Amino acid sequence: MGNKRKLKKVYPIEENCISCRYCEVACTMVHSKSKDPVKAYKLENLLPRATVEVKGSVSLSVMCRHCKHPFCFDSCISGAIQVGENGQVYLDEEKCVGCWNCVLVCPFGAAHPYVTEEKRHSFKCDLCKDRGFPACVEACPNRALVYDFER
Amino acid sequence: MKYVIVGNSAAAVGCITGIRKVDRESPITVISYESSCYSKPMIADVLADIPEEKLIYRDEDFFKSNNVELVLGRRAVEINTDSKVVVLDSKEKVPYDKLLISTGAKPFIPPISGVDKKGVFTFTELSSALSFKNYIKENGVEEVVIVGSGFIGLEVAYFLAKLGIKVTVVELLERALARAIDERGSEIVEKLLREEGVEFIFKDSVSGILGDEKVSGVKLGSGRVLKAGAVVVAVGVRPNTELAQTAGVKVNLGIETDDHMETSVKGIFASGDCVECLDVTDGKKKPLPLFPLAFEQGFVAGLNMAGKRMKYLGGLPLNSLKFLPVPVLNAGIVNPPDSSYEVLVNDRFDDKGFYRKAVIKDGKLVGFVAVGQIDRVGILMNLIRQKIDVSEFKERLIELDFGLVDLPQWWREEKLKNDKTAYKDWRAV
Repeated sequence: MGNKRKLKKVYPIEENCISCRYCEVACTMVHSKSKDPVKAYKLENLLPRATVEVKGSVSLSVMCRHCKHPFCFDSCISGAIQVGENGQVYLDEEKCVGCWNCVLVCPFGAAHPYVTEEKRHSFKCDLCKDRGFPACVEACPNRALVYDFER
Repeated sequence: MKYVIVGNSAAAVGCITGIRKVDRESPITVISYESSCYSKPMIADVLADIPEEKLIYRDEDFFKSNNVELVLGRRAVEINTDSKVVVLDSKEKVPYDKLLISTGAKPFIPPISGVDKKGVFTFTELSSALSFKNYIKENGVEEVVIVGSGFIGLEVAYFLAKLGIKVTVVELLERALARAIDERGSEIVEKLLREEGVEFIFKDSVSGILGDEKVSGVKLGSGRVLKAGAVVVAVGVRPNTELAQTAGVKVNLGIETDDHMETSVKGIFASGDCVECLDVTDGKKKPLPLFPLAFEQGFVAGLNMAGKRMKYLGGLPLNSLKFLPVPVLNAGIVNPPDSSYEVLVNDRFDDKGFYRKAVIKDGKLVGFVAVGQIDRVGILMNLIRQKIDVSEFKERLIELDFGLVDLPQWWREEKLKNDKTAYKDWRAV
């Protein structure tokens, strides 16, 4: 504790955000089976893990902050949420039972509920761990998202 | 240093996590009369035939990798503070330097005549849930009476109804979940359960359990008689403080602890459903038997046991009705006690399937209800936790697209840009 963690995560810069939502589309696409943006939304019924918020001239894209103290981890009753070596907060959608505690306690609103007839589980930013580099940052046309070491 | 934890659920796992943040080496021993570290809030799922491995909250690897010795199937019966040992039912003595009592809560059983008959169950442990399941199967039970309409009672009712069993919930108060949620919330939950076939009897109580050796029915205070092959008593839990009392630890409604989760006896800490927790909504200490709070208290206790001084920042009542297809969440004060509270409502449940309500006092959010659409309500939760002034944007609190853009810019600067997300950073501002 007290030591700086070697954690890289995605930082939104609201001054640069133009609310184009490319980050949302990229996120949904790379987490889909089809890897096709239209199919991901329309056929796979997926939703983005980043949320673009807009209010007047202010906008920003919000995703999991991988908190130093993750309330979602505390509240997870199934053990689906685990903290990685450098503080990455991961959610195992197969283990999740959809109790919604993480949705209820996340100060950033970054753990989302997925509810359909067949499936119910939470989902959140996984820092594109299977991909190596966050797709949202790659897709952002205006450097409103940067991938950087934790402050 | 030798750490000992009595209990093996949320608070215990939180404590192990906390200790290991500071002390990677010293041995930890966990004592529990149960056989595994399963998720207590998930036990009713056995009625829906959830595979038992899915109930496991922390598997053996967790304990192994954290260098934790498990003493399972043994009950801790006494704490000797002079020789600093925990005495087990096997007479074996387990020495400790720092001890955590996380003995949880036990079901409250009201004085009902015949409550000791076969076929009467409580629902707070996996073993009781499994014996209930076996009982209804072996006895071909077709009708069940649930005493109490709290979270456990309603969840059991829901799963039984799904199995085609006729379920009647008997509740002393005038509505379901009366102590946890607001009137509109109750109404919605009752409607959803009735649609599944659950019947409710309000403002009545079970005065007697009928039958010879086994349950055959119940008699209500009103005189009404209901047929029942089994009865589930779910009228709440009480802190389990028996072990703590053997150590001379101060106990009120639950075990008393200081800000660091230490009890009145130095070196003995307590966390979870057995303690009195500081409720941040009213500043009072009371039993708040809730999973996330238990974990956090255990975590903070663990840090302090390992020598890192950290104050517990308190908890607030929070609930999620996890069994219904429609999510129902609430936190803080949802039934304002007087007119000094302001209430904002956005009720579109009947046409759009969602309901939101915010309760404000002196410019601060103190509670909310969210039904149907629940995405991002954690932002509201944090406004309560941090006691942030919401006067400027209060009408936005009940909108579905309420977000961080509605919060003051300094908040985003602090939390997003400067990463102030450590435990102490979430205290009131």
